[in-house]
Amino acid sequence: MSYQLTSAFLGLSIAGMIILLIRRDHLHTYHAGWWLLLAFLVALLGIFPKIIDTLAIYLNINYPPTLLFAGGMGILLVKVLTMDIQQSQQERKIRRMAQRMALLEDELQEYKKHHVSK
Amino acid sequence: MPFQDESSLIIIIPAKNEAVSVAQVIADIRMHFGGTILVVNDASTDDTENIARAAGAHVINLSFSLGAWGAMQTGLRYAEQQGYQIAITMDADGQHRADTLLNLVLPMEAQEADVVIGAFTERGSPARQFAWGFFRLLSGITQEDLTSGLRAYNHQAIALLASSHATLLDYQDLGVLLLLHSEKLRILETPIAMRLRTDGKSRIFSSWWAVGKYMLYTTTLCIARGSRLPIIKRRQGL
Repeated sequence: MSYQLTSAFLGLSIAGMIILLIRRDHLHTYHAGWWLLLAFLVALLGIFPKIIDTLAIYLNINYPPTLLFAGGMGILLVKVLTMDIQQSQQERKIRRMAQRMALLEDELQEYKKHHVSK
Repeated sequence: MPFQDESSLIIIIPAKNEAVSVAQVIADIRMHFGGTILVVNDASTDDTENIARAAGAHVINLSFSLGAWGAMQTGLRYAEQQGYQIAITMDADGQHRADTLLNLVLPMEAQEADVVIGAFTERGSPARQFAWGFFRLLSGITQEDLTSGLRAYNHQAIALLASSHATLLDYQDLGVLLLLHSEKLRILETPIAMRLRTDGKSRIFSSWWAVGKYMLYTTTLCIARGSRLPIIKRRQGL
């Protein structure tokens, strides 16, 4: 019974931390939705760790914790990959913006040279 | 002037901390060639901006460093915006000679190619030659000088390279060639004479760490966008 208490405590505190971060507005709503879902999952598995065992038996997995590790790593992999994709898109936008700013600055200077100083 | 309309020609020089050489480069161009000279100042911490301006170039300042290609693309976007028909890119370190620029413009005037690359193939250590051989094999590119920064682009090529498709590139080499090729632009390589670098160091091949990074980057690029077709015509003789 005590291991279930530990896992429930861990699951709930991780979920609580995530919810606290969302409440404090540290996460964009789009990301917050994902993390809220994850918080729910962690809490659920923390309170009912038997879910993993039942699922493992159903899937013919000999050693249930591997299901947890494989599932967790799969989720993280997807998350990191989408992060990198998003970051690449942002990098593109930032570069375009820096270039555009340089061009606009140049245009402004030219404009001032021809219109203001006269 | 040898070509019809020099007001439609722009020479783009990306420069980061090139205060030592940039004035000489600009003076050299003005002596041998016409057209607008644009220096894209890639967030230099030295006096590159003022020196280039004093030497008679038009200067555009980036507020933070975008790297060699990012600066060059800024120049290409300017060229597109202002409606220039031909853009020549050139390094600010003085290794490219202004008296060779005509070799790039003439094939373009004759409508022989959309992109002309000034190639200097005698340079490079055996290690670099090996790396280039590897990339040629991987990408299907038959060009001799993969990293040459001396190139001329026509209006079609300028529009393509100024677009956001080219924004995530980091160097003006294979990635740019592969993009041009994928849009079926005609690329011509012409041999030209080059000066040895006055300060003697390459930006891409500055340290072993940089070489490793560059190799990994380019290998990835070849795998992502490579093609097995020979894509560059070569012209023999100077």
